[in-house]
This record gives sequence, C-alpha cells and structure tokens, in this order.
Amino acid sequence: MRVNLVLELLDVPGKLLEALEPIGKLGANIVAVIHQRDVKTERGTIPVHVTIEGDKETLEMVLKSMEDLGIQIMEVDGVMRKEKITTVLIGNIVEKNLKETMEILSGIEGVKVADLDLKMSDHPEQSASKIIVEADYGKKRDVLKKIKEIGSSKGFLVINEV
Amino acid sequence: MRICIIGFGAVGQGVARVISMKRDKVREKYGLDMELVAVTDSTGAAVSEEGLDPDLLLETKKKTGKVSEYPEHGVSDISGLEVMNEVEYDCLVEVTPTNIEDGEPARTHILAAFRAGKDVVTSNKGPLALSYSELIAEAESNSVQFKFEASVGGAMPILNFAHETLAGCDINSVFGILNGTTNFILSRMAKEGSSYEQTLNEAQQLGIAETNPAQDVDGIDAACKVVILANSILGRDVSFKDVEINGISKITPEAIYLAKKEGYLIKLIGEVSNEALEVSPRLVREGSPFAVGGTLNVATLKTDLAEDVTVVGKGAGSVETASAILSDIISVWKSRR
Repeated sequence: MRVNLVLELLDVPGKLLEALEPIGKLGANIVAVIHQRDVKTERGTIPVHVTIEGDKETLEMVLKSMEDLGIQIMEVDGVMRKEKITTVLIGNIVEKNLKETMEILSGIEGVKVADLDLKMSDHPEQSASKIIVEADYGKKRDVLKKIKEIGSSKGFLVINEV
Repeated sequence: MRICIIGFGAVGQGVARVISMKRDKVREKYGLDMELVAVTDSTGAAVSEEGLDPDLLLETKKKTGKVSEYPEHGVSDISGLEVMNEVEYDCLVEVTPTNIEDGEPARTHILAAFRAGKDVVTSNKGPLALSYSELIAEAESNSVQFKFEASVGGAMPILNFAHETLAGCDINSVFGILNGTTNFILSRMAKEGSSYEQTLNEAQQLGIAETNPAQDVDGIDAACKVVILANSILGRDVSFKDVEINGISKITPEAIYLAKKEGYLIKLIGEVSNEALEVSPRLVREGSPFAVGGTLNVATLKTDLAEDVTVVGKGAGSVETASAILSDIISVWKSRR
C-alpha cells in the first residue's frame, strides 16, 4: 500500500535525510519526495510531501519511528494529524504555577507541550510566558478551553490565537 | 427629505459637513434633497423649516460652541425630545454620545421617532447594545426604517455589507478589530517596545485616546459592537451583559515580545460566533488580514458560500463616520420611494 505524508522539517542541513532514513531502514520504499526549500510554512518550517510504499505493518513502523525521532508528521493521506496551538500568558509565573500549568496541559490526551518561552519583567506580574502545545487534530477547542480555565484560576491574562 | 440631527459633537458635525459637501451630488444621483430642519446639542437647537445652512451651523458651533447661537433660528434651553415633538421632519439622525449605562437619552429619542412614524439613522451604540430587540420590534411595528451602519467600525462597511452584498450567504461568525484606539496603542507597543502606560499617554496627546480611556482600553466600546454584530448579522438576541470582556491594560511589552518572536501580534479582537461572544487580546499572525496598524478597524466574516470575506476601514473620525450615516440616509430614501 501507499501512503502520502506531509512532514514539517526545520530549515537546517541534514533534516531531510534524517527524516527519510527510517523509510529505507525499515524496508519501505520512497515513491516520491517533494521538497521545496523556498516554500515555508508560517512557522518558518519546510513542508515536505513524501509518498511511501510498503506493507501496512512496515508503514506503521515507519510512522512510529519518525515520530520517535521527533519528526513532525502533519498529514497522513490528506488527513491532518497535529496542530500547534500558541498561547501567551501574562502574570506572575512562579516556578510552581508554571509546572502545574504544563502538567495540566500535558495531562490532556493527545496533547503535549512542545515549546516554552519566558520573558521576565522587573515587575513580576508583568512577566510573560509563551506556550506552544502540539495537539492531535480536533483537540484545539478543548486545549483552548483548558488554557482559559488555568488562566482564570491562576490569575493569568490569557492571550489565545484567533 | 427633512433631516433632524440630535447631537452635534464630532459625528453630528461630520454629518453636517458631508451634507454640505455632497448635497448637489446626492440630489443629482438619487433625486434626494437633504434638508436640515433641526440640529440640537446639549445647549439648545437651531430650527428652521426652510432648512439650515450646514456651513453656517459648523461655523456657529466652532465660534460659540452652541448651535443655539445660529442666527435668527437659534433656540436655547430646549431638549432634543422637545425639538422632535415640535419640528416636522422625515428622518432622525441620532448622534448623541454613547451611554452604556442605560442607553439614554438616545433610546428615548429613537423610540419617540419610531412612534411618530419617522425613520432613524444612528451611530449610537448604547441603545443598540442594551435594547436591540426592543428597538427593532418598535421600528417594525411602526413600519419605519432603522439603520445603524455607523455604529460598528465607523467608515468600515459591515452591517449593510453583510445584509446586502453578502445576501444569500449564511454568516457563521465575525472576528474583528473593532476599536481603533486600542489598535493604535497595541500597534505602537509592538513597533516601539514601549510600555502600555507610556503608549496610552502618547495616544492621549495625539487625541486618539480620550482623557478617560476606559471605554476603549477596557474593551467596552468593542463589546457594544460585538453585541450589535451578533444581533444584526448572526440573528442572535443578546445584550451587553452577555459579552465576556478583557481589555488591553494588562498587556506588557514582554508578552508582545514573546508573541513577535513566534510571528504573532497581539490585537484586541471581538469574536462573534455561536461558541463565544467575546472581546479579548488575541494572537494574530503577522501578515494576516488582522495585522493592520494605526487606528484601522478590520473584520472577517466567515460565510458558507463565499468563505472568508474581510473588510478594512477607518473605525472613527468625524467625516469618516458620517460617510456611513450618509449612506444609511440614502438607503432610507431609496426604500421610501
């Protein structure tokens, strides 16, 4: 069988090779690869379309192995798999609050915190944190709701995406 | 068409100005003769059945601060409602300041006009945000026209655009930047890295923010517009209290910095959808339709047939807002013929 994937790779040398490696190693075949470095996503990553061929078990192993390597598989046969949700929180983010927040988010099934960034202010209550969550497609509404709840219980101002 | 303007602040004066500018053109193009028979402000009125001169009105207001000083036809110490009861007019232009406590005196003015069988054009958000269904029902039962394009987004076309241009589409949601002052402040903060207080100060010095900026920065003004959009475009029956509101006063340069690093801007967004009625700071993509700067307003309507349609325009300003009032006056006239 064949499967069409859309991967999202960082624009760094060697990334394409790394992403394709599990395919041959596990015994699947590459049918086509479309990789245009000048086409970027709004996140600055490069979408790579790959068509691979093999039996069902092999293909599943390939997908798993790619995910283990941290390669973003955004689409499988035209179906979205993951979406990224970015949120900025404003408020006094002491260590404990932050840890709890991360735990609550990661506790939702199919959701993981992919990135975290802090910018502290001289006035602690003006500090900001950015959280990027990677969620299974369709989970966005749940995640946004959860983030809002966290915000109101901890007194953060929540700035979600439109 | 005999026009009565109640309220002669920035918007009322803008209406007088556009009538002066466009009178001949409107007559030529639509056969509509706009005649100002009464204009009131907080001090009194100028009333003339033969018609007032808009330029002289503007000059009188500029020099004395009172329309009641209008030569020969000025009347002091008379209320808007009294003028409406005494003067023969066809269309009321209600442009008194927005009052979000009880919508008065605009609500009373508008209802009185309806009951007298007069058409009404307004930019006043107060009565629309608080008593929308009451006003619509009263207009319908008196078979009069009620238009309020100028109440949302100033010159940015949205209500008539949704009802007429997008007629036939189901509109599922509207997302927009509905307040120019907050957009100015957030855009400046993003550009200069300055603090909220500093930037608000600058906006006040430029006359973009008012001395008491609460209506704008606390999201109240935008929330009124969310209510109007929800009722008028999505056919909901909601009021000001149904909107969840968060303003921009807690936005920090740190937050803007983090957003920017990820390719986002922070904007005060009004959301009108079946899931939410909300005004809150949100992340918008740099380069997206929402990434407009200055005091611009923008709104994206999500429709079933046309998908996303976005409009942008000046959200405030005297003549700009009056442009929307003029187009409502013309459309009232067209429907009356």
